[in-house]
Amino acid sequence: MGVLKRLFKKVLVANRGEIAVRIIHGCQEMGIKTVAVYSEVDAGAPHVNLADETVNLGDPTPSESYLNISKIIEAARSVGAEAIHPGYGFLAENPDFPQACSDKGIKFIGPSAKVIAMMGDKIAAKKTMEKAGVPVIPGYHGLKQDNPTLIKEGKKIGFPLLVKAAAGGGGKGMRIVHSEEQIEQAIESAKRESKSAFGNDTVFLERYLDKPRHVEFQVLADEHGNVIHLFERECSIQRRHQKIIEETPSPVMTPQLREKMGKAAVKAAQTVGYTNAGTVEFMIDGKHNFYFMEMNTRLQVEHPITEMTTGIDLVKWQLRIADGQQLTLKQKDLSQRGHAIECRIYAEDPSNGFLPSVGNLEKVDVPNIPNVRNDSGIETGMKITPYYDPMLAKLAVSSERREDSIDKMIRALSNYVVLGVTTNIPFLKKVLEHKEFRNGNITTHFIDNYFKDWTIAKRGLPVDAVISLAVFDSMHSKREEYVRFKEADPHSPWKHVGRWRMGAGV
Amino acid sequence: MFINYEHNNHVYNVVVERRDDHYFIMYDNTEYTVQAEEIKPGALKIKLGDRVIKSVITEGDKEKFVFVDGDVFSVKKVELTGSKKTNKKEEGDMNSPISGKIVSIKVKNGDNVKTGDVIMVIEAMKMEYLIRAPYDGKVKKVNFKENDQIEIGQTTVDLIKTGKEE
Repeated sequence: MGVLKRLFKKVLVANRGEIAVRIIHGCQEMGIKTVAVYSEVDAGAPHVNLADETVNLGDPTPSESYLNISKIIEAARSVGAEAIHPGYGFLAENPDFPQACSDKGIKFIGPSAKVIAMMGDKIAAKKTMEKAGVPVIPGYHGLKQDNPTLIKEGKKIGFPLLVKAAAGGGGKGMRIVHSEEQIEQAIESAKRESKSAFGNDTVFLERYLDKPRHVEFQVLADEHGNVIHLFERECSIQRRHQKIIEETPSPVMTPQLREKMGKAAVKAAQTVGYTNAGTVEFMIDGKHNFYFMEMNTRLQVEHPITEMTTGIDLVKWQLRIADGQQLTLKQKDLSQRGHAIECRIYAEDPSNGFLPSVGNLEKVDVPNIPNVRNDSGIETGMKITPYYDPMLAKLAVSSERREDSIDKMIRALSNYVVLGVTTNIPFLKKVLEHKEFRNGNITTHFIDNYFKDWTIAKRGLPVDAVISLAVFDSMHSKREEYVRFKEADPHSPWKHVGRWRMGAGV
Repeated sequence: MFINYEHNNHVYNVVVERRDDHYFIMYDNTEYTVQAEEIKPGALKIKLGDRVIKSVITEGDKEKFVFVDGDVFSVKKVELTGSKKTNKKEEGDMNSPISGKIVSIKVKNGDNVKTGDVIMVIEAMKMEYLIRAPYDGKVKKVNFKENDQIEIGQTTVDLIKTGKEE
């Protein structure tokens, strides 16, 4: 440690959209110069306009721009940036990136390449955690794939049991086994399906969780061995494994469970020598058992709700930690206040299978409401292209209680104007309005259970829209009038009815 | 002012009249009297009885977008009357701009009319629409009689042009 080092003078942000904007704000508040990188289609985007310096990466294809390690390293060198913040997505969890940074003497704002690589191997990560005493879902991920071995391991794990194709995805090669008698048949059919779908019949066995919730813990770890957690985030509301609504505290959490899970999260981070901000993801079952799933070795999309309830700025701590400073926050001094929810606003069309929606943003107008935070990468006049993730912004609200946060969020979404590109806002509102959501009865199956085939009812234009259009067009029309009110006063000027001209433009 | 909006392949007929900041809107057989102001460009505050409608409207390249209560609708204005300017023939198919009841027919077959003469009065949503001759012409055929129901787009009378170019 020794002499207190000065903070970085210049940081390059290797990302785009709302997260690049958020990181640039954090740097600028600390007096750090910022460098934005951008592809051609992002010229003039908010993150580019906000940064002190910019480097054009050219070709918008991700592999030629935001995923191109050598271009980004070269950009950092060309402007003399001392550190790179990767944001999330793109290169954030690619261990080659921090390696390339350190090879060129640039500080990577995140954990080491070694830790990222270790956590990137999901099975190895679980084994490491299991050895350290962090609960993992009981399972078998062994190489011996003969039926007697699998059946024996399955019985050890207990029922209900999930048979999963090692190469699986999309539910293919997946079987739920409720009792011992079904296991052999389930293994055989999962293997057959997996073989034909993926050309590989290796299967895993895992305990099947009833009423599973996805609850994660935010951790901060400095480079001097200090690790704290900043409580949980409930992220069970997911559509096709994509989180859409996150909140904290979790409706399922009790002080005892929080204590246990928080300790497990800190233990997980310590076990691997984690540094910087990270998130330990757990599953919780219907009986409040929790299991380590994986560790996200980066700043999470949903970090604002933690910031809103703890008052701690995660991006600033990322910068301080990367700068070698000590965590001055002590676990016993930390507490959460109130409740926060975040909704992810995506450019996708709920009435068209949630396909990404592209086009020109004709108007973006965000409500200015107390305790509402809008992390946004968009503005009026911007073009939404098909090159990148369709997430436009994150809207987060905080209040005293969960019920208030839900009401506040519904109102904020109802006033969040995005015109020109279809968004998922109506869908988010429907989820928030759902009785079971309000009751806190949420699991990772929530969307499948209640919104599986949901689509916007084609109820046509509501009368409020028709009235609005008519008023707007009347206001902005200079045309003569050509109808009259039947009961109008005979002396009214409205009696003087103009001509109806056929084929005239309205 | 008569407007047709198209949304999801459905056409909405609306009539709107303005008197200062008051607007009289006829839509779906209901009359709405509202008070409205544009509080900033495209943002409307509309008072309808004890209710306030807040909406935002913006024009895209091809359509208009209306934002009401978190929902967004894209609409197009449509011409149902068809363009006569390109019609080379002397016949004008004078389509009704609205569905309603024919309360009065001012011409009969064979009549000569001058531009602007009232041909027919159609009542819809408590308002009267005057169908006027768009050019000097001779009525070839009146397609309806008084008290008939006429649908949007139906031809009121066949009118043959008797312009100087003949």
